[in-house]
Amino acid sequence: MEKIASLIIIGGTVLWLFSIFALEGRWQWQMLSALVLTVGIFCAHFWEEFQDAGDGGQDAGDGGQDAGDGGTPGE
Amino acid sequence: MARERVSQADEWQAWAKRYDIEGGIRTFESGLTVKVFIGALFIGLLMMPGSIYLSYVSGQSGAEAAPWVAVILFTELARRSFTTARRQELYMLLGLTGAAVGSGMQYRNFIWYAYFVNTPQAASYEIADKIPDWIVPAGDSVGVLTRSLLHPDWFLPIAVYLAGKLLGTLRFVSGQYILFRLTADLERLPYPMAPISAQGATALAETTGKEETWRWRVFSIGSMAGLIWGFLYIGVPALSGVMMSQPIEILKIPWIDFTQSIEGFAPTGVFALRTDFGQMLIGFVMPFPIMMAEFVAAMASQFIIKPQILYPAEILHQWQEGLDVRAANLFNSLDFEMSFGMGKSFSFAVVGMAASIPMLFKMRQRQKRAGERGSFATPPNRGDFPIWLMGAMWLIGMAGFVWLIHWMVPNFPLSFLLGYAFLYTPINSYITARTFGVLGRDLFEIPYLHEITFILSRYEEVDIWFAPLPDEDYGRGTQGWRVLELTGTTFTSNLAGTLLIMPILLVSGIVVLHFIWQIAPIPSAQYPFVQMMWPINATNECLWKTSLRDGNSEMLQAIRGDYVSAGFTSMLALYGLLWVFKLPSMWFYGIAGGIFGDPGSMVARLLGAVIGRFYMIKRFGMRRWYMFNPVLAAGFACGVGLIGMGTVAIALVSKAVIVKPF
Repeated sequence: MEKIASLIIIGGTVLWLFSIFALEGRWQWQMLSALVLTVGIFCAHFWEEFQDAGDGGQDAGDGGQDAGDGGTPGE
Repeated sequence: MARERVSQADEWQAWAKRYDIEGGIRTFESGLTVKVFIGALFIGLLMMPGSIYLSYVSGQSGAEAAPWVAVILFTELARRSFTTARRQELYMLLGLTGAAVGSGMQYRNFIWYAYFVNTPQAASYEIADKIPDWIVPAGDSVGVLTRSLLHPDWFLPIAVYLAGKLLGTLRFVSGQYILFRLTADLERLPYPMAPISAQGATALAETTGKEETWRWRVFSIGSMAGLIWGFLYIGVPALSGVMMSQPIEILKIPWIDFTQSIEGFAPTGVFALRTDFGQMLIGFVMPFPIMMAEFVAAMASQFIIKPQILYPAEILHQWQEGLDVRAANLFNSLDFEMSFGMGKSFSFAVVGMAASIPMLFKMRQRQKRAGERGSFATPPNRGDFPIWLMGAMWLIGMAGFVWLIHWMVPNFPLSFLLGYAFLYTPINSYITARTFGVLGRDLFEIPYLHEITFILSRYEEVDIWFAPLPDEDYGRGTQGWRVLELTGTTFTSNLAGTLLIMPILLVSGIVVLHFIWQIAPIPSAQYPFVQMMWPINATNECLWKTSLRDGNSEMLQAIRGDYVSAGFTSMLALYGLLWVFKLPSMWFYGIAGGIFGDPGSMVARLLGAVIGRFYMIKRFGMRRWYMFNPVLAAGFACGVGLIGMGTVAIALVSKAVIVKPF
């Protein structure tokens, strides 16, 4: 599912660039690209929520920096 | 090494953990006492007339300082009485004083429309005789001509306003509460900006105790910085303006415009350095990747995309040499940026829905194993309300509101009102509540919603422009409930305080505004700000209210489908590509926020972010710095607010005693 979502998003982006450079940026083609991208983004988020890994990513992101000084502020 | 994928919610929650310094252990107490109630009324009603007057004279009401003045007076009185002030009391005092000071401003529209109905603009655009009587009495009525809000002519507009206010209270209290329970209790969203409000009251409460902690020290540092900055930025111009015809501005307010200096190598680009360096405090608080991405995107827009791509392609075709930042922005906006911005806003809506809807689906699964990430069970003694009661209140409030609007504009299609009330409003509010819970700001806003609605409804009467629509957003308000929780204030005491003070404020607000209107006509020479601005505002209002009448207004012509599509699709592509390459979603919000923005307006925020990231964190450590941040920001706001109120008071007194030479 992750790869499918990625593929759809890349496809939508390529279609949008094509509509800008080759089709004079016509809104109909741009909106078609937007539709493809929307489908891809929804797929991506559904995959994120329902992947087997569940909520294991909680500590990722910037959490590693929380080590800091660890002390309580000077009371 | 392959980059690890982090979901948007996890990314934001990891960042927001830095702000959660209380560790989630809280006890709840009532903040409503007789002394708080009387204190709030005293300070609020004392400052309310000055606040209304100032807003007409200078355009700045200074009302934001009043709650802090009340809290500082309260804590000093407590200290001298050898008693203590609890943070619940102080937070309640902040809220009630803010409501009291602002109570006069809620009737401002009456004065505005009493002026508007008799303007030449309203007459020439053929609106004057079409303004409904539930907004303002006729232009030749006694109530308008004698400037009396207490005249029976005003009965209908005031009655409609009060009915709306009552129904609005029902809807907003219940709607916000339900969403708070959903996002804070069940989904455990962190509300990263809520501690800023909570920390101010906490810091000041500690001053009345025996021991002072780091909070008071940090709050004092922030306050002193705010006082110094406020004096330089607001105080000096205000005080020198009293004595001189041309006020002294140490730093030019609000910006130093470099637009004409860069037009040689960046035509159509704008760069106006915003001089309000108080914005650095926002840079301290906001996530660094957003600040950085925002600035880079803005620089790229003004120095590459606009001058090197859009200008040669004649998309930005109205720009000329010699324009200042306001004129350049206006032309660029009409040529391209307004359409692009509309598309961009729609992409926020799609991205917000894409992140939220899967969570809604997953919530059913979570409910089965409640307790892992949150549940509807409430903490003891928080003063919660039954959900069914709140649901019933919202339904009654919304049904009554729809009926009221239908009574106001009976020919407007009822289906639109029902759709907004029972479909759009809940979805919109939920998405906003989530974005506030995760990001501390609103991302889901559909621009020109009313205009789109009016076009789709094919309703051509002008009266709809004066009526409210039930397209509401309770999401922002959920943060207030979170602050109550952080300060340990029971929900019941807050609601009781709000309901008790409301009738007093409804009456006092209209009486005070009546007397201010009696002093002199508004606008008139007594009120220079409105005298300068209101005629322009009247023209703008006429342009908007007639923009759909003949279908060829400048506003409508500026909206181009291909540019709207470009904004919409490019932002979706950006968001999607960031996801594909496992890059932080914060970059998206930074880039989207910064694109076609003025980088000069972001310098102070960026400076704050850089100092915070590369100096303060090294100096104090990550954890301690993020504990200091909200307290520092609250102290700074207090300092600037006090300077603003003080200097304005001096200016008012001097205006009152200067004797004219004739």
